[in-house]
Amino acid sequence: MIAILIDGTVQGLQLALMAVGITLIFGLGGVLNLAQGQFAVVGGIVAALCINAGMHPVAACVLGILSAGVFGLVVDRTLLIPAYRCAGEERLLLGLLITLGLSFVVNGFMDYKYSDISLSLRLATPSFDVAGISIRTASAAVAAIAILAFALLFAFLKATLLGKVIRSIIQNEVGAELCGINPARIRTVIVVLSAMMAGLGGIAQGLFSSLGPEMGNGLTDYALIVAVVGGVRSINGTLAAGVLLGIVNAFASYYVGAYLTLIILLGTAVFTILLRPAGLFASRS
Amino acid sequence: MSALLAAQEIEVGYGDMPVVRGVSLEVRRGEAVAVIGPNGAGKTTLFKAIAGMLAPRSGGILFDGARIDGLRHYELVKRGVVYVPAERELFPQMSVLENIELGAYTNYKSRAERLKFVLRVFPRLEERKRQMAGTLSGGEQQMLAVGRGLMAKPKILLLDEPSTGLSPHFVSEMYRQLARLKAEGLTILLAEQQIPHALAFAERAYVLENGEIRLFGPSTELLGNPDIQRAYLGMA
Repeated sequence: MIAILIDGTVQGLQLALMAVGITLIFGLGGVLNLAQGQFAVVGGIVAALCINAGMHPVAACVLGILSAGVFGLVVDRTLLIPAYRCAGEERLLLGLLITLGLSFVVNGFMDYKYSDISLSLRLATPSFDVAGISIRTASAAVAAIAILAFALLFAFLKATLLGKVIRSIIQNEVGAELCGINPARIRTVIVVLSAMMAGLGGIAQGLFSSLGPEMGNGLTDYALIVAVVGGVRSINGTLAAGVLLGIVNAFASYYVGAYLTLIILLGTAVFTILLRPAGLFASRS
Repeated sequence: MSALLAAQEIEVGYGDMPVVRGVSLEVRRGEAVAVIGPNGAGKTTLFKAIAGMLAPRSGGILFDGARIDGLRHYELVKRGVVYVPAERELFPQMSVLENIELGAYTNYKSRAERLKFVLRVFPRLEERKRQMAGTLSGGEQQMLAVGRGLMAKPKILLLDEPSTGLSPHFVSEMYRQLARLKAEGLTILLAEQQIPHALAFAERAYVLENGEIRLFGPSTELLGNPDIQRAYLGMA
């Protein structure tokens, strides 16, 4: 029971890593990124290739995360430009189509080129005991990484000028422009940051079990559900929703089996949206 | 005195609808100028064009001797053109202090010194420093919007309807502070429906009706004009 709870929480933290990028890109750029899982796959596969080439796993993972960031940068500065030229619903729709297309392309390329590559990171000690409960070392590592990443993200948003600028654009883009802020430049920073968070999520997946080149869409699906339940503009909400859905996911897979789990997750999402249409921590305005 | 800001025959509109038609106006250094006129005359559209939030279809806008039409608003802030719209456009879930500090984005290093200046102009913001901007009263939000604008070290402040939604007490207070800023050398272009306040504050004014300048001149002259008295000051 407690083991499932811990497992779910850790999985939830990993989901939140994936989902926070969707929240940030949507809040700041008005684009709902349907290729978020593909960012994770790019990061993970680059890490796997580097490990296969003999690189130290930690260095390989760092390189994987950076590659996801570079991929994000390229996508933001090329593919997404037509979407950024539009505003409001047009931008949202065009953004959906572009990122959906991107996900197809990445899936196809990965399947064609790297179908036999996967990232699975094995730690030296598989598990350890705390107060009689056996905890997987991988779970502890993923939890530590995710908590650290979120702590850094919150500190960044709260205390740095760039972080304040990001929050200001999420709250009021016109207001930010009135202060002399160029939203397009900040948007690029956010897409890169989000892609790197996704890359980190992909690495976490590799720690947990394994990350294959075909897993992009699955990761995007989970991340989207989490982002929507959390309220697509709230980072606190994303974190809370990730943990909540991770726990639901763990209990559902344990008691009713994996087949029904996605239905239960979607049911939870629908239920939350019915109760709180703007997400868990909806802002009042 | 040379003109700090000059709009020359500008036409601005949304889609096919021209809202501002062939408007020319001039603001000299250190001057306060008002644009007055009824609701829907095109005052906000004119201000948005000057501030770079709407591109004029024809005509030119000069600031400090250089063409600025076609530049985006955030580029103008650095040059000293700061716009405070009637909607205020604050960051509701950030503290008053964070809102003010972001106003200094283009000169962030000197924000502490600017902050002192702004809090001296609006001492009430000091009391509300830690409060979320969204929880302020209308008058306080207006002060915050102007205060945030002042943080950017404006050479010219474009104020659109600073009295909207304010109680008479706050309107007087706002104009007292604006007069102080003007005395310190700030150039101000102001759109206003509260004609008596606007004409008492500004040296010169333009009357905008249906997107065109109908009249302009020194405020004292306009105050004595029978048409203005009838249409805007409620005198028979």
